[in-house]
Amino acid sequence: MTTLLTSARHEVLCILRAGVALLLLAVFLCMVSLSSVIGWITNTTVTRVYEKVLTDGLTTAPNPFTAVSPLYYARNSVIYVVLIGALLAIVLGVQSTLRDRKSTTSDLVLSRPVNTISRLAGTLVGLGVVIAAVLLLSTVISWGSISIIVGAPLGPDPSLRLAVFAALSWALMMIFALLGMLTGLHSRKETTALLVPFVVWSAVTFVLPQIGANARPVALLNPVPALITTGTNSFDLVGAITGPFAITEQFKRAAGIALQDESLTGSPTASIVLLGAFLMAMTWIVLATSRRQLRSGLNE
Amino acid sequence: MGLTLNVPAGEVFGLLGHNGAGKTTTVNLLTTLLEPSSGDATINGHSVTADAAGVRRSIGYLPENVQFYDDLTLLENLRFFARLSGLRRPDARIRDVLSFLDFEGHDNQKIGMFSKGMRQRVGIAQAVLHEPAVLFLDEPTSGLDPEGVRTLRETIVRLNREFGMTVFMNTHLLSEVTKTCTSIGILNHGALVHHDSLANTLAAFPAEDSLEDIYFRLDVTSPS
Repeated sequence: MTTLLTSARHEVLCILRAGVALLLLAVFLCMVSLSSVIGWITNTTVTRVYEKVLTDGLTTAPNPFTAVSPLYYARNSVIYVVLIGALLAIVLGVQSTLRDRKSTTSDLVLSRPVNTISRLAGTLVGLGVVIAAVLLLSTVISWGSISIIVGAPLGPDPSLRLAVFAALSWALMMIFALLGMLTGLHSRKETTALLVPFVVWSAVTFVLPQIGANARPVALLNPVPALITTGTNSFDLVGAITGPFAITEQFKRAAGIALQDESLTGSPTASIVLLGAFLMAMTWIVLATSRRQLRSGLNE
Repeated sequence: MGLTLNVPAGEVFGLLGHNGAGKTTTVNLLTTLLEPSSGDATINGHSVTADAAGVRRSIGYLPENVQFYDDLTLLENLRFFARLSGLRRPDARIRDVLSFLDFEGHDNQKIGMFSKGMRQRVGIAQAVLHEPAVLFLDEPTSGLDPEGVRTLRETIVRLNREFGMTVFMNTHLLSEVTKTCTSIGILNHGALVHHDSLANTLAAFPAEDSLEDIYFRLDVTSPS
């Protein structure tokens, strides 16, 4: 337990002192804040046009924003988590395990009464705490911004939905953080350790949905999932195989339902179960790393 | 190749040998960083194969070219290693050790700013924080200037005399061995070709002027 807590605390401290990681955190928080600002600008612009049109007697229809869920303004955050959040998590994950191999501090650590699983679990907990703190901060920013936009504090239901979205985002980011940890542990070079998870991320985010749903690459930058039924046998078949592995699309689906995206119907259970399964599998793989691998040096 | 060696408690033992003789591998095996393919070793009553955790609780280790977390301060680095060694509230102990090493006033400086000599003192500090019975030093004088070498030598001798710490030191600096060690072993291509107290070793070769002459008399040569 001491090793786990010490490693977790150490990881948080190292992340807070690393310039690159802090920069990425700042970018992520800026983007989440921007998401609400964009929503607010859209709302203001559309409402202003609507009021002008209403004054001119050109419409009797209600303001299109009146019926919209307040969570509409947070919807762009889904894609920021997939694009920036996942990359941030990869960088943090790679740094967490590469740090000891790069500076050969692993020998100082492993010459102490330290259990390998506790050490790695502690690092993972530290990463989890940092990512949770970032998401908590971004959720508070979103909650505050949306409350300002709609002119009243968000009620319990949308607040809970925002919290569910944050939890799903945490799960997705942790999967990519674990991927980063894994390549940080096994790569022989620092560049490979960073490059491999980026390639995997781009394959999962762009290639798998494309070959499984004939989705256009640009469509994949939308917060709405591209895993649609095409009616084409070949795509349906490939989609059934690749769909479960397209975890960013699974995340988009679950997050979209949590944020009351009216284009999504059905239950998010399958997507949530898949995210959970990936999280557990990746955790198990990382924790199974041997002592020898922990102290292996880099070929640089 | 096998190695049979007994270092009594309270000794300052110097393991000598050419580059590639197996000194670092020996230390890595004794500190449990490597697992032996066969055989065993006992450190302070704990077997490296059957009770590696017990060995790790008994030892302090300073690797060659020791590195730390450069973005963290001296205090943060030492707290981390102290806690990993099981010290729950390590600050008082850290201050005692830094005072013993005459290395005060750097607590909140980042280690990335430290010179090689300063890092080596931090290396000693992290190795003795938990008051280990046995201290392993791998080429501790490597890369140090003459002043750093002298300071380190005095520290090793004080740790041994004042706290009764057994020191196991790898080196190929024969002059340092003469000034620091009470017993020596000489490794040649993985085999122990000599093992005795320093006094006995010098007495056994009266015709030789120095340990260096004895070393070459024993035909210890680097692989060509």
